Amino acid sequence: MTAADDTTAPTTLRPTDLRSVREAVLDSAGGLAIAGAGTAAAWGGDLDAVDSVLDMTGVTGVIAHNPGDMTVSVHAGTPLRRLNSELAPHGQQVSLDAARIARGATVGGLVATADAGPAALVHGSLRDLVIGTTVVLADGTVARSGGHVIKNVAGYDLAKLVHGSYGTLGVLVEVVLRLHPVPKRTTTVALDCPLAEASGHARRVLDGPYEPVALEWRSDSDGSGDGPAATEAGRLLVRVEGTEDALSGRARRLRAALGPAATEIAADAEAEEWAAHAERVRGGPGHAVLRLGALPSALPGLLAALPGAATPDAALTIGLGTGVATAALPADAEAIEAAHRAVHAAGGTSALRDRPTGFGGPAWGPAPSAVGVLKAVKTALDPAGRFGPGRFAPWFELTSPGRTT
Amino acid sequence: MALEAGVRSAFARAIGAENVIDDPVRCRSYECDGLTGYRVVPELVLLPRDAEAVAAAVRMCAQHKVPFVARGAGTGLSGGALPVADGVVISLSRLKRVLEVDPVNRRAVLEPGVTNLEITAAAAPHGLYYAPDPSSQQVCTIGGNVAENSGGAHCLKYGFTTNHVLSMEVVLPDGSVVTLGGDTAEQAGPDLRGVFLGSEGTLGITTKITVRLLRTPETVRTLLADFPSVSAAGDVVSDIVAAGIVPAAVEMMDTLAIEAAEEAVHAGYTVGVPAALVVELDGPVEECDVQFEQVKAICDKHGCTRLHIAGGPQERAAIWRGRKAAFAAVGRISPDYFVQDGVVPRTRLAEVLDRIARMGRDAGLRVANVFHAGDGNLHPLVLYSAAAGETERAEKLSGEIAELCVELGGSLSGEHGIGTDKACSMPKMFGEDDLAVMHRVRGAFDPDGLCNPGKVLPTPRLCGERPGRYRPHPLEESGVIERL
Ligand SMILES: Cc1cc2nc3c(=O)[nH]c(=O)nc-3n(C[C@H](O)[C@H](O)[C@H](O)COP(=O)(O)OP(=O)(O)OC[C@H]3O[C@@H](n4cnc5c(N)ncnc54)[C@H](O)[C@@H]3O)c2cc1C
Repeated sequence: MTAADDTTAPTTLRPTDLRSVREAVLDSAGGLAIAGAGTAAAWGGDLDAVDSVLDMTGVTGVIAHNPGDMTVSVHAGTPLRRLNSELAPHGQQVSLDAARIARGATVGGLVATADAGPAALVHGSLRDLVIGTTVVLADGTVARSGGHVIKNVAGYDLAKLVHGSYGTLGVLVEVVLRLHPVPKRTTTVALDCPLAEASGHARRVLDGPYEPVALEWRSDSDGSGDGPAATEAGRLLVRVEGTEDALSGRARRLRAALGPAATEIAADAEAEEWAAHAERVRGGPGHAVLRLGALPSALPGLLAALPGAATPDAALTIGLGTGVATAALPADAEAIEAAHRAVHAAGGTSALRDRPTGFGGPAWGPAPSAVGVLKAVKTALDPAGRFGPGRFAPWFELTSPGRTT
Repeated sequence: MALEAGVRSAFARAIGAENVIDDPVRCRSYECDGLTGYRVVPELVLLPRDAEAVAAAVRMCAQHKVPFVARGAGTGLSGGALPVADGVVISLSRLKRVLEVDPVNRRAVLEPGVTNLEITAAAAPHGLYYAPDPSSQQVCTIGGNVAENSGGAHCLKYGFTTNHVLSMEVVLPDGSVVTLGGDTAEQAGPDLRGVFLGSEGTLGITTKITVRLLRTPETVRTLLADFPSVSAAGDVVSDIVAAGIVPAAVEMMDTLAIEAAEEAVHAGYTVGVPAALVVELDGPVEECDVQFEQVKAICDKHGCTRLHIAGGPQERAAIWRGRKAAFAAVGRISPDYFVQDGVVPRTRLAEVLDRIARMGRDAGLRVANVFHAGDGNLHPLVLYSAAAGETERAEKLSGEIAELCVELGGSLSGEHGIGTDKACSMPKMFGEDDLAVMHRVRGAFDPDGLCNPGKVLPTPRLCGERPGRYRPHPLEESGVIERL
């Protein structure tokens, strides 16, 4: 059942700071959906009907930026794009390039969905960049963990629990992030090849001294149906970052390693090239988008065998070093169920992202072996199951509070 | 209350009598870790031979409500592996196989008793290495590294243990076996792997660990630079960072530390200078060349009095030998010392060193400083003489320094962990609610409170007791490992 089936719409709560978030949680009863900018509102399991929506887009702004320490604390509702544009004059950035940042995704939403982009090859996901968090729990408890320094092992790292929790454990209100220098220059070397050849080329890059910050293959097909099959034609993209003086030499060596067909993308076309990659990660209106992770060596074969992948109706991206891929597949519930099974059989994990409303296919694959711990953590932090009911169905079997009215 | 005979024999049945030590004299070898001031002799020491036996041992503990403490090499500096009275120690020292090195996917699968350095040794033939490099790496185990989220000199650029571990097989405190994490960083659901990393042995026992391996960098450039003041050296660090350079390592030593290190290993440091910096860059040749010139110019700008560039691997090793020897070498200039592991925001380095110096003067004690300047992780060494009755004063100063780091916006610990040592200082850094929530999370893993109880989170019983004086780790005395 989704909220849309109900006759009364949930109440929207619009807090603006830590105190008002806490009040909103305490003053409401029943199920609560935590909402950021809405760029991933439908990811994961369908939410059950809730009484209230906690709109975090009013809890925004930098709390403190310490340029010398390269850290920033920020309200969770701040769009990452905006944060990075505020940091840019200092030559600093949050080194995350998830596809939906361009659409206004908030810091909190990106943490909660464990999202990341190609640069995860070097910088990891936000789990690797968050150094402190303030979270409001269902009973109004305000819990801080971590701190403001990049090196810190004091206490349990609760930020990790929130990472990938899809709004089911607590409300992330403040986040402290580690920053990196904005690279003086970046460049991307490209090589057109079908999916089946991508691994071989990637191996040559990884085995050399090139230190790419991103190493991806993407299909030429964007899944709209009027091109070649997604597996048949595509492009290997290798991004390197560095100093003005050194980068040309590095790019030359990299091109040589990839052979005569490799080209360096012109500086003014680089952003566009990566935007096209991001577009495939996001998928189109008729797609069910599956995010998956598996051993890099197994990934191309696994991806090619997913139902519908080898057609012009699919769009594919693969991180050949990270082992993280996205498959925007023709939306078909049975096909997605089969895809989850195939990924699981290969030892990987999968999660369903955007899909047409009322799609009905499963959001998650089989539950992980530690699902008992997940349930115990959920019970310890949100015993009544108020936050994000349904998101992890069928993994969490807490009785949903549903609608109280 | 000692363990009943029936319970003792149950352990022997579960994992084989030959794998159980119950002779109190032999159990005594396990009475402490690297924080030698705290000692507790365990009731039994269990030495399981494989993961199944670890699970069997933990199931026995759960069934008979016996507290247990996992132990790797026992090099921890915060009393994390300190046994619990009436409890057992489960040593992972016999689980020491490298199960797999996969050069294509760049990962290694290890049993928990494999040492940190053995991972790199197994990866090296493929041109790969394991990045986190605690200076105890010759002996400390990957299981201990996971528990402590250990760091090293190179973690400024490459990150800590938590950034390099993909998955772990874990025996939960009820004896069930689960996998946290998986083949890639992409995992569905909350990051339990991340919660377990750095939990100091309080959430379960790891029996198998998969780590990422990195390609050995093409070049490494190392320099040693002397400065007329600690603040000049601090300014160099700030300027390097401001130039957008992320060095592989930036380490600082003050006069006392230099003096001690030079006396011990003659690595070519200048005795008498107020501060020395070790800066290392690594990566593609072109990039290192450009940035190394920038670093040299920054050193000159801040009045560097001597710049020594490592001419080759041997000179580089000498610079590092001096840096790493500083710790143990302090033993040469002082009969006893305490070590702290606090962190401050990098921009407050000069301020904190100034205040530490003043606090030392007020207490009538010398403090030597050796630290990871790039990430603000201090290792102040409070020098004292127990024979002269200075222990209590030194201990107090040492605790005050850790708490000063918190006051300046930092942390009680950058890499050694909270353990037994700093559990009572946790309320300085976290509020009651923060600690209560951590307690709830712990309870989700360990409802019966059997897994390394009394560590990390403060308890009234623990916080009433006082530690003994610091004594060097036996391996440190014999020169096998150095303290960083
Ligand atoms: C001279 C010296 C230098 C050092 N330098 C550094 C440094 O540079 N950086 C740094 O970070 N640390 C350093 N340390 C601290 C120490 O070496 C690390 O904390 C190390 O990770 C401990 O590993 P170990 O195998 O000795 O673990 P132990 O000391 O045996 O145990 C440490 C903790 O891990 C738990 N544990 C051990 N194995 C497991 C397991 N399999 N499953 C669950 N829990 C387990 C124990 O219960 C305990 O809480 C140094 C120590 C010394 C003595």
